[in-house]
Amino acid sequence: MAVLMPSSFGARSASAAVAACEAITDGAEPLAVVDCSQLKYVDPFGIAMLGATFHLVQLQGRQIQVLNLSANLQGYLTRMDVFKDVKLVGDYPVAVGTRHDRSTDLVELTCLDDKNQVDDAAFRLAKTIVGQLDGIDPNEPPDGMSCMNTADRLAEPIQYALSELLENALTHARRGGYPSSKVWVASQYYRRSGAIHLGVVDDGCGFLRSLEAHPSLKHKRDHEAILLALQPRVSCNRDQWLNQPDSVNQGVGLTTTARMAQKSGGRMVIVSGSAMHDTSGRTGGLSSGAYWQGVAIALECQRKRLPEVRIRELLPPYDAKPPVALRFE
Amino acid sequence: MRSELFLANLARGRFIGTRATAATLREQVEIALAQGNEVVFDFSGVEATQSFVDELIGALILRRGPDILNRLIFKSCSDDVRAVIEFVAADRCDQYIKANTH
Repeated sequence: MAVLMPSSFGARSASAAVAACEAITDGAEPLAVVDCSQLKYVDPFGIAMLGATFHLVQLQGRQIQVLNLSANLQGYLTRMDVFKDVKLVGDYPVAVGTRHDRSTDLVELTCLDDKNQVDDAAFRLAKTIVGQLDGIDPNEPPDGMSCMNTADRLAEPIQYALSELLENALTHARRGGYPSSKVWVASQYYRRSGAIHLGVVDDGCGFLRSLEAHPSLKHKRDHEAILLALQPRVSCNRDQWLNQPDSVNQGVGLTTTARMAQKSGGRMVIVSGSAMHDTSGRTGGLSSGAYWQGVAIALECQRKRLPEVRIRELLPPYDAKPPVALRFE
Repeated sequence: MRSELFLANLARGRFIGTRATAATLREQVEIALAQGNEVVFDFSGVEATQSFVDELIGALILRRGPDILNRLIFKSCSDDVRAVIEFVAADRCDQYIKANTH
């Protein structure tokens, strides 16, 4: 039986997107049929979800058939490399006649499975996203005070956020029996609105599994786990240094990333298990009983506000001072 | 004697991000410290994530205690990098002290 894709497949309809992906991966038939007759819109969150979903279906040894995909979306999804590593049954993808160069707007779906790839990936993605935006000259000389040019100021918060999110996805997500989990990333700049959208999706253990032993998790529910993960200094292994000094996290990466989104006039949507949290308001269980094994994040920010973001303002407040004075030169 | 580490060599663009990069660098730091040296981290022209700084310096504090900061020097830090270092150091020193206070 075909899975009918919703008309909007992205962060603003995360429940519907997750429900569709779950239906695709939960199917028992050897052929997963995806009916796109109602599909009108896909965003980078949706792109990354599709990447993860198609990967999971192929891991199951099943084939994928895509039906009734409009020519526009066919071109867009092909351009975003959604079908790049997917063996489809049937006609898709076909060659797109005239490929409009949207290299300034789009960052194709990227899959990472090695944390040593994170630095390069975060740099490349941030540079691609902002490097050729309107009025940006990557070769502009840096100003004398900050030693940064406009491109640097735009790219820095994005590279910071991507570095933290990708690192989380390739470390925390791999605990609890998911050592081979991967992470998918996609991005797009929407010129009309000035918004930059990122999608970061992993197929790992999810927040609940990662934090289930944390003393502050009062109820073992996905929603509580997401909210706890957003608290500063919460990590599954923050205090494990006593036993495992090689494996510690401060529990601040997700917090600072969420703050970056908000300070840049955007938001962060987090889906894990049966729950979602949107920093702009909506929070709670996914509707229709939808479930995502792993963590799926949509990060949105306003390009014009990015230069205002200062990393030091993203850090949680702290009162303590080290007992030994730091030596700065 | 001082051992100087130029972090720009590790940056991608202006950024150093990951714990994996910091963990590798920390091994060099441990060697320098074992030789009795002070270690200078030169942050000229780079920015760093909190994760990187925590893996580099936070882990040293948790293993050796806050006194290790007497042998670490942070050079040419931007305001952001300085804030991240101060945050990590304060947080991990506090954590160490609480764990070792009876």
